[in-house]
Amino acid sequence: MKLAWSAEDEAFRAELAAFLDQHAPPEAVEYGRHLADESSDGGAPPELLPDWARVWQATLFDHGWMVPGYPPELGGRNATPTQTLIYLSELAARDVPRSLHFPGYAIVGPSLLEFGNEEQRGLAPAAIRGDAVWCIGMSEPNAGSDLAGLQTRAVQDGDTFVVNGQKVWTSYAMIADRCMCYVRTDPDAPKHKGISVLMIEMDTPGIEVRPLRHITGAAEFAEVFFTDVAVPAAHLLGDVNDGWRITTGSLAHERGGLWVPGVARCRHTVDELVGVAKARGLDADPGIRREIAALYEEAASLWALGHKGFAAGAGGAEHSYMKLAYSELLKHQFEVGMTLHGPDGAVTSGEPGDPVWWRRFFASFAGTIAGGTSEIQRNIIAQRVLGLPRGA
Amino acid sequence: MDFALTDDQQLLSDTARSLFTNEYPLSVVRAHADDPSAADPLWKHLTEWVALGDGPLVDLCLFLEEAGAVLAPGPFFATAALYRPVVAALGREPAATGTVAVAGESGEWVASADRVRRFVVEADAVEEVVVVVPGGAIITGPLPARPVETLDSTRRLFELDVPMGEHAALPLDPDALTGCLERATVALSAELVGTARRILDMTVEYAKERVQFDRPIGSFQAVQHKLADMALDVERATAAVYYAAMAFDAGDADRHRAAHVAKAAAGRAARRAAKDGIQIHGGIGYTWEHDLHLFMRRAYASEFLMGSSDWHHERLAGLLFD
Repeated sequence: MKLAWSAEDEAFRAELAAFLDQHAPPEAVEYGRHLADESSDGGAPPELLPDWARVWQATLFDHGWMVPGYPPELGGRNATPTQTLIYLSELAARDVPRSLHFPGYAIVGPSLLEFGNEEQRGLAPAAIRGDAVWCIGMSEPNAGSDLAGLQTRAVQDGDTFVVNGQKVWTSYAMIADRCMCYVRTDPDAPKHKGISVLMIEMDTPGIEVRPLRHITGAAEFAEVFFTDVAVPAAHLLGDVNDGWRITTGSLAHERGGLWVPGVARCRHTVDELVGVAKARGLDADPGIRREIAALYEEAASLWALGHKGFAAGAGGAEHSYMKLAYSELLKHQFEVGMTLHGPDGAVTSGEPGDPVWWRRFFASFAGTIAGGTSEIQRNIIAQRVLGLPRGA
Repeated sequence: MDFALTDDQQLLSDTARSLFTNEYPLSVVRAHADDPSAADPLWKHLTEWVALGDGPLVDLCLFLEEAGAVLAPGPFFATAALYRPVVAALGREPAATGTVAVAGESGEWVASADRVRRFVVEADAVEEVVVVVPGGAIITGPLPARPVETLDSTRRLFELDVPMGEHAALPLDPDALTGCLERATVALSAELVGTARRILDMTVEYAKERVQFDRPIGSFQAVQHKLADMALDVERATAAVYYAAMAFDAGDADRHRAAHVAKAAAGRAARRAAKDGIQIHGGIGYTWEHDLHLFMRRAYASEFLMGSSDWHHERLAGLLFD
């Protein structure tokens, strides 16, 4: 156990730092600092993927800094797991997002590489570089936590699948070129065994995308309706009825660092809360001082736990500790941010540029619901880490 | 920041675990409550390990975690974690056993000028007492000590009257003194994490075995979610303790904050583990016969020793705000 990284890994960090100093666009920093602060109440929806973000992602890819663990042809530099952790930490420390479009590089790219045939694997570089925009068709109105209960139907007719059904909470569907879509191909099989994955061109006739306004008033997600959508059978990813295992296809070598941006955000938020308390003349209030210190304690200890888990090679199930903890902590922190404003806590007309605590708080429920709710995370910890028996 | 144990650290941890589990059965803990000399044979096994207090804090923490898991009584903690680092900072050779008197009338874990010293660990079982005063420390032989009854018979606390005029204080740099006290706080946190993890392990095992409504109670979500939250707190606190220990060993500027984080996280984890542990054990956990209350006693007693979680949050706030 030691605090310092090796000289080799420090050199890696220095090279990254020099690259970021030179190339990171100011818009990226601005975006990272004001995530979820933009006003979109009834106004124009925020631009989901502005030009600077597309250029920035391509720049990272071309310099081998997009997914460092990958080889150069996939936007990386064959970095070690430790170097990948350093990479994620350095970006987080600077509030610089590497992409505003996570499905492409984090889910679609790795899935194509792991489960695709040769032609399909050829689509991976564009997905990771951000040249092609993908959405993921997973959740449905009746398939949330019980994702395997999805009902969107695909019926094979010769060399075509005909798709009917509805997806919901589909990020980027409004601007996506393609959808990696989970469909039921065998309604009679046990639910995990009748699912397939189709890659669907979003301009195919029969697809309707409706923006879905969520609780902050913004519309970053969409509902997608499929009516007799014809998909070439060649666009099947993996085998028929074998799609469930593709749900786990995220960046295996980055799984140990998935927590980094979330916990970094918790740490930054504590600093901001200290600032708010001072600005509002509450910094001598013992209760508020203790409350913010407790939030610091949680964020700091989570940062340590993430590194400890990484050293232990903690993969899937242990990540539930991190996901549960940082998403709940952020929600709590943002709520404290509102309460620090006293009677103004519910006022939504803030000064431009101010952190908008109510909007952060509202948006933070996405963290405790999406990607497996906090309750699902606790089930995973109990059953897969602690070894408790499954319920009836 | 690399949390992987070196081979030597792994060996130390494994050795400590087998030493403590073999030599400190809970029957001795119970016997020690009536007669402290019951733990004397066990102390002999530990004398060769007190020099851990002079080495890397990571090593001492790994050792104390295992001590905390069995509620080890005796002068080991006072000697290794408290006494030896202060004596070394004073430039003196240590006696075989010792303790440090810090808190004055207020009970706060800061250097005091008070004649009365409170919460002095194992004061009647050691050869030397170091009395910390602002700007220095006094080394004396044993002092008349009044036992303080606490929740926890496994760590004996005393109140002392220090004959202040009779001994000259040796000068001690305030930063060095702070370092010693914070280091000991991290060490106590490691011990506390060991206690919390043992409660978690006992409770998980019980939840797997105890059958009600024809199924193990550990299959019920209400129980599973309590255990998941307990486990998260224990994991978090363990990481916070190791991080703090690494920060001290590296002389990192973050070590002062990290010490407060470690103690607050360990205290909160231990309290939650104790409370929910007893709750999940149900009726059997409420009996004197079951060992769980021994762990709850230690958990709460350690939470209040050397600054409670609230106190450490206050001190941490001082570093964040001022």
